[in-house]
Amino acid sequence: MNVAAPSTTGKNSPAQPPERRGPALGRAGEAVREWAIRNPMVLVMALVILYFLYMSDRFGTVGNLQTIAIAAAPFALIALGQTLVILTGGIDLSVGSVIAASAMTAALVVKDHPERMWLAVLAAVLVGVVVGGISGFAVSRLGVPPFVATLGMMTVASGLAYVLGNGAPINGLPADYSTIANTKVLGIDLPVVIMIVGFIVMIVLMSRTTYGLRVYAVGGNPLASRIAGLNVNRTLFSVYVISGGLAGLSGVILSSRVISAFPSLGSGYELDAIAAVVIGGASLMGGRGTVWGTILGLFLIQTLNNGLDLLIVPSYWQKVIKGVLIIAAVALDVWVVRRRSR
Amino acid sequence: MNGSLECRDLTKSFGGLPILRGVSLCLEPGTVTVLAGENGAGKSTLMKIISGQLRPDTGEVLFGGEPLAPGDVHAARGAGVGIVPQELAPIPDLSIYENLFVGREKRTRTGLLDRRGMIRAAREMLTVFGIDLDPRTPMRRLSVGMTQLVEIVKNTSWGARVVLLDEPTSAISDREVERLFTLVDQLRERGVAIVYTTHKMAEIQAVADRVVVLRDGRLVADEPLAALSEHDIVQHMIGRELSELFPERPEPGTEVALRVGGVRRDGAPPVDLEVRAGEIVGLAGLIGAGRTELLETLFGVRARTGGEIEVGGRRLRPNRVTEAIASGMALVPEDRKGAGLVLSMDVLDNGSLPHLGAFSVAGWLRSKARAEAVGSWGRTLGLRSRGLSQEVQTLSGGNQQKVVLGRWLSGDVKVLLLDEPTRGVDIGARSEIYRAIIRLAESGLAVLMASSDMAEVIGLSHRLLVMRGGGVVAELDRRAMDAPDVQERIFRHAAGLHVA
Ligand SMILES: Nc1ncnc2c1ncn2[C@@H]1O[C@H](COP(=O)(O)OP(=O)(O)OP(=O)(O)O)[C@@H](O)[C@H]1O
Ligand SMILES: [Mg+2]
Repeated sequence: MNVAAPSTTGKNSPAQPPERRGPALGRAGEAVREWAIRNPMVLVMALVILYFLYMSDRFGTVGNLQTIAIAAAPFALIALGQTLVILTGGIDLSVGSVIAASAMTAALVVKDHPERMWLAVLAAVLVGVVVGGISGFAVSRLGVPPFVATLGMMTVASGLAYVLGNGAPINGLPADYSTIANTKVLGIDLPVVIMIVGFIVMIVLMSRTTYGLRVYAVGGNPLASRIAGLNVNRTLFSVYVISGGLAGLSGVILSSRVISAFPSLGSGYELDAIAAVVIGGASLMGGRGTVWGTILGLFLIQTLNNGLDLLIVPSYWQKVIKGVLIIAAVALDVWVVRRRSR
Repeated sequence: MNGSLECRDLTKSFGGLPILRGVSLCLEPGTVTVLAGENGAGKSTLMKIISGQLRPDTGEVLFGGEPLAPGDVHAARGAGVGIVPQELAPIPDLSIYENLFVGREKRTRTGLLDRRGMIRAAREMLTVFGIDLDPRTPMRRLSVGMTQLVEIVKNTSWGARVVLLDEPTSAISDREVERLFTLVDQLRERGVAIVYTTHKMAEIQAVADRVVVLRDGRLVADEPLAALSEHDIVQHMIGRELSELFPERPEPGTEVALRVGGVRRDGAPPVDLEVRAGEIVGLAGLIGAGRTELLETLFGVRARTGGEIEVGGRRLRPNRVTEAIASGMALVPEDRKGAGLVLSMDVLDNGSLPHLGAFSVAGWLRSKARAEAVGSWGRTLGLRSRGLSQEVQTLSGGNQQKVVLGRWLSGDVKVLLLDEPTRGVDIGARSEIYRAIIRLAESGLAVLMASSDMAEVIGLSHRLLVMRGGGVVAELDRRAMDAPDVQERIFRHAAGLHVA
């Protein structure tokens, strides 16, 4: 969609003659303006960053940026999976519990086979894939609404996490387990590397492959996709599998960071992931949204978490502020889109 | 105070592209003004501005001399402007009467919904139109044509003084059009000012008092009907001479491409038919005759409960769209928004959706090949868009139709099922589509085409099947189709008046 002439400044009052694009505004200026109007969330992000830079000396340091990136990594993985699911018009509520179940599984495996770290990672991802596969089967083959299917699997996975640890955390993992979260590749923490790779893979997947196109099509109009010969069921199934697998990986990173696994790990994370996707401009009805948007939404939330911590805002108030900002940011986005198409 | 509505020098552009370039127009009470123009000329845009859905860049709309607030639906409605949009927006899960009364529900004295009153009133409203439907039927169950009639009833029955009908007949067959004309006459007598867009010449002759032609956002003609010949109108619209609408049909082949034997679906008699390679077979019938349902069953989107379908000798298992497509079948559905397009995607993506396999290597999209293929049939059909990256949602209706049809042109298709292939397409582009269909047939494709446009179905088919009540009731060969009384015969078969 393109931008119609009116600017975003000024009220939308009927009395005011609509502003027209002046020829004086050069091509470059016009491009910048158009871009800014298209991406109000970028402006919001910039404002948030400027505010924290102004309020806190520590916010802009390299060390703090690293902190933000490291904190973001496990969220990034589930937010990417969530993006796929939401693009098909679904939602995956189970990822928080999958994190717990897969972390517990990884912990058990690594305790038995301390020398075979890869086996633990594989097992954790497999748990996620299986849980996602069941959700995907229920949604695509049985026609269970995604909200219900993944709500069910959220409960199942959470229950399994408790079963695996007999209701208790699993501690005393071999110290080697922490290397997953603490290894550095070219001076960057491994989780951050995984996150960046995840971003790149997902951006390419969604913009350059038939798979990405199918996900958009199925989310935008399942009937039309079917008539165009797409295998709608398979596409639906796949997004839940991917989302589950990524949540499994996220569980490994989180438990490796604290060298233990506990059944409440990751609880509530699905909401942050959904928030990131929605802030990024995706429609919960499916068909609309981008990986770039999700990345932006993710970092907006992470930056807020970090900045408010630095300003020593009490954590309960942090929640209130975050919630209000999320609604305000999305409202702004919707308002801009609506103005554009009038 | 006179009740006339005036547009003064309206301009509107989208993304820097001018769509309306200074349109001034005065609508008189009791007059039917036909708004003609090619797909994308700006007709719907003009109507949306008048009805307050869009805000003009410059210019204003006045009612009785008073300017209306721009881009304000409530102000326009308050002044008595009613619109039946081109792209319908019914609420599918509500019943007909609930749709008719949504936003102005009747209440009992206690403030509760007066369902009985609404049902009664709804039944009356429908009867005026000659629509024999239970008002409690859910909207979802209606065909596109019926939905359109109900929407028209909904938007004209509240006492509007200006009624804008944006291609009201694009989805209804010639018989149902008569009912619409009756209603238009009633409105005209009540002193309502009516704007009516259509791409059908016969309709212009039948309803217009005055004809206004838009070309590229400019008003190029504004005359009483009597002052313009059909030829003049077409020339104003497309700015050039139009070659013959229906090109010569090549001889069909002999090999049977589609064989349908005793195909059953719920509530319909079994259907047998054959289409040979290179043959165009028309399906005629009234709304509700089951043409769409039959095509959907053949393609596998609708449940087949018995019988056999063979494409090029290969037998299809029931209800498997992927298999139908793999064997070379393609469907251009009637409901382009609901079943044809993914509105949130652009022209390129929609245009290549059925052939992703051909446009990719191991799952990687070959962007150039894709753009070339889509661009090429886009040119063939005269697709008008702001490049391939325009969202199909913002294309004009006729251009959306070109995307739904055109995207099959780049693939390996043996049997093409067409359901109202030129619905809402302007006359210039229509001749392009006819040419494309003929060319496809010439290259050996079998075409099965359902259409409510008599001229089209007669002018294009080698053979014609008439449907009624879900079954095929008559077959007309080329000789019968060339007879002067053919339309009458088709109607009689379709309406069940035929005495054998
Ligand atoms: N919201 C929008 N954003 C961008 N372009 C638009 C938008 N709405 C309409 N257009 C463009 O404006 C042009 C005119 O559209 P309009 O719907 O008025 O045509 P029309 O005359 O009604 O055509 P048709 O006979 O096909 O219905 C089209 O080329 C269309 O692509
Ligand atoms: Mg239109």
